[in-house]
Amino acid sequence: MNVEQRLRRSGLLIAAGLAVEAVTLAWTHPLAFLVFMLVGGLLLAAGVVMFLLILLASSSNNQEAHPQQASTRES
Amino acid sequence: MYQLQATPKALLLALIAVAMVIVVWLVVRPSITRSREGKMLAFVALFILPVLAASFGGANHLQRSKETQFCLSCHVMEPYGRSLRVDDASYVPAAHYQNGRVPREAACYTCHTDYTMYGPLRAKIRGLQHVYAQYIGGVSRPIKLYRPYNNRECLHCHAGARSFEEGAVHSASPEVMAEIKVNKLSCLSSGCHENVHNVEHLNEVKMWEGSEAR
Repeated sequence: MNVEQRLRRSGLLIAAGLAVEAVTLAWTHPLAFLVFMLVGGLLLAAGVVMFLLILLASSSNNQEAHPQQASTRES
Repeated sequence: MYQLQATPKALLLALIAVAMVIVVWLVVRPSITRSREGKMLAFVALFILPVLAASFGGANHLQRSKETQFCLSCHVMEPYGRSLRVDDASYVPAAHYQNGRVPREAACYTCHTDYTMYGPLRAKIRGLQHVYAQYIGGVSRPIKLYRPYNNRECLHCHAGARSFEEGAVHSASPEVMAEIKVNKLSCLSSGCHENVHNVEHLNEVKMWEGSEAR
C-alpha cells in the first residue's frame, strides 16, 4: 500500500471518529459518553497513530534515499 | 445563572466541521500532500485538529455529565428527579432544588460530588457497572448509596454560613459542631434532616408545579 492510500485510510478513520464525536455531542446520556470514548476515541486514536506511522516511515525512507544529506545534517 | 458549559458546543462543532472538511479533502485528493504546504495541512488536519477535537469533546462530555438531565436520563433515576419537585419543605433535596440553594442544572452533582466519574477509581468502575446494570444485568431495587452520606457534601456550602454556624442545634455545644464537621454526627441520619428523596412515598405527596421546574 502506498503513502497516499495509507493517508486516505488514516483520514477515513479520523473523519469517522469526528462524525461519532459530533453525533454524541447532541445527546446528553451516559451512553453518549461511552460511545464518544470507546467508538469515537478509538477511531480518532487509530487514525492519528496511523498518520504518525506514515510520517515515521516516510522520514526513514527519506534517510535511506539520501544518507549523505542525513549525515551532513547530523554533523 | 450557573454556567455548565466549559467548552461552548458551537465552537466545538465548528472545530469538528473545519477538521472534517479538510480531512475529507485529503481523503479525496491525497496527492496534495506531495507539496510542502500539503504536508503541513495534513499534519494539522490529521493530527492537531483531531487531538484538539477529542480533548475539547472529552471536556465537554465530562462537564455535561454533571447536568441533572444527564443523571435523570436513566429510567431508574426518574423517581429521584420527581422527588426534587415535592411540595414539602421537609424534603431536603426538594427544598434545595426549589429554592435555588443548588443550581438546578447540576442539582444531583452538587450534593453527590464523589459519584461515579467524579469519585476515585472504584467509583468510576461502579459507574461502568451502572451502565451494565441499566442495559444488561438489571437494576437491583431499591437503589442505595454505597456508603453512608458524607457530611462533606453539605459542608462544602453550609460550612461558614451564619445560619449553619449559629443554628441553635448546631451550636448547642462545641462537641456537636466538631462531630458534624468530622462526619461523626451525620446530618441526614441522626434524626435531624432525615427526609431526603424518600421515593417510596412519592405517590402520596403533593408536587410543586413551578414554572421553572423540570
